[in-house]
Amino acid sequence: MRPSARMLPLAALAVGLVLTAATPGRAEPARDAILADLAAQAKAADAGFAGFSAERGRALFATRHAGGKPKTPSCATCHTKDPRARGKTRVGKVIEPMAVSANPSRFTDARKVAKWFRRNCRSVLGRVCSAREKGDFITFMMSR
Amino acid sequence: MARSAAVKLQRAIRFASPRAKSDEDLGARDDRPGANEVSEREVKVWDRPVRLFHWSLVALVAVGAATGYSAPEWWMGWHAAAGYGLVLLLVFRVVWGFFGSEYARLASFAHGPRAIAGHLRGLVLLRPPHYLGHNPTGAVMIFALIAVVFALVVSGLLVLGGEEHQGPLAALASFDLGAAAKAAHGPLTVLLLAMIGLHVAGVAVESLLGRENLVRAMITGDKRLPPGTPRPRPRAARPGAAAVALGVFALVAGGTLVGLARLPIPDPAALALDETYATECGDCHAPFHPSLLPAASWAGMMAHLDDHFGEDASLDPETTRAIAAYLATNASEFWDSEAANRFRVVSTAAPWRITATPYWVAKHAGIAAARFTAPPVLSKANCAACHRDAASGRFDDQEIVPPGTKTAGEPKTGA
Repeated sequence: MRPSARMLPLAALAVGLVLTAATPGRAEPARDAILADLAAQAKAADAGFAGFSAERGRALFATRHAGGKPKTPSCATCHTKDPRARGKTRVGKVIEPMAVSANPSRFTDARKVAKWFRRNCRSVLGRVCSAREKGDFITFMMSR
Repeated sequence: MARSAAVKLQRAIRFASPRAKSDEDLGARDDRPGANEVSEREVKVWDRPVRLFHWSLVALVAVGAATGYSAPEWWMGWHAAAGYGLVLLLVFRVVWGFFGSEYARLASFAHGPRAIAGHLRGLVLLRPPHYLGHNPTGAVMIFALIAVVFALVVSGLLVLGGEEHQGPLAALASFDLGAAAKAAHGPLTVLLLAMIGLHVAGVAVESLLGRENLVRAMITGDKRLPPGTPRPRPRAARPGAAAVALGVFALVAGGTLVGLARLPIPDPAALALDETYATECGDCHAPFHPSLLPAASWAGMMAHLDDHFGEDASLDPETTRAIAAYLATNASEFWDSEAANRFRVVSTAAPWRITATPYWVAKHAGIAAARFTAPPVLSKANCAACHRDAASGRFDDQEIVPPGTKTAGEPKTGA
């Protein structure tokens, strides 16, 4: 194999990384796949589903909900009001930012996404989140 | 031949010199210039090693008492250092008790019951018989003091080895043995302080009745010879023999220490934290060492992850099972560290909460509640905010550094 041919994938990777870093929230296949999956679920649940909304996601994030556990009434309780800022767990451990612009690896691991929505929706809302809510949330975080 | 000639020459010089009163106090001879220019009726009683021993003992007992009674936990290293110093002093004193000069020798003040009774009778009549060295009553106290200090360092080493798993007995002494030794260590210190009080009182009484400042005698080494008392013929010190004895002891002790240091210590720090456990639990809080709770508590906690101290911390069943198994096999039952032993006794109301265990509550009772919630601690669950070795599960006293404090209690005492 000629050296240039060997370098080609590396160069492509480098370009890809630069593009990923330059355009947060875009050009991340894993995240797009997660969103596409959520969109399909949302459509299955509601035929009238017409795409995710960053605004609905913002409201979900900022609202103080009733029905969850008393110590965690809102997402912002731990993640702070600014999704680009670092948050803190109830015992003081740092939570990396939720906004994709500040933390490009967010919403790229389907298992992690499922785990944290399952846990935190129950802690904050006292119920599981719908596929639409999850998609709205991720869309909001991609817009920040 | 050459040697005996030199000795003869030395004697000739002594007799010729006005400083040399006699060669009888040869053993107690102090080599500082002018040190032997004492009045005609004063003789050297306490040789320099005895005096150095006495005042070093005073200093180390003071350090031990101060750090033991009132210093914060993280000064434990200094307390142990004082203990090690006392061990060395005791060893030296016993050796010097065989090879030191006349009045340093244990046999010279090992008086029989008749002498003790006679001295006590004299005391009651305020006319105790005169002794140049320790009087029989005082000698009993000297032996008792040595015995109690010995018992104190032995019990202290057992506490250090058993409870803290530090020091030479770290591998041998169990936590329970350490706890038993601790139960003796405290009362022994009270006994020692009481005996020191009696010893000082005895010195005061003998000083008054004998019209001689015995404290000064323990500083200069000189004591007055009452009129009409024949000049004693004290035996000289044998520093060479003492050095050999100390050398042999050092070899035996050193070898023993090397052997002890090779024994495996049941140390929770040796456990590598399971990766799944560390990442899954470590996402929200520093992963607590499995040795900090009994298996039953871990099992209960893992069965109720959906309500984990007020939060949903549920995991998929496979991960939950893996972590539960890891915790069950490394729970406090399998460790003999202090933390494992202490936190094994859980709160009946909150058996999963380490910070609710009676020991945790008692140990942190003096800390204002606000200190736990304010930065940089933020939570009682944040052990590492003050315990530098929290992750290891050891929780050594010397590793406590409350925020705002500069240093911990160095030095750390081995093992």
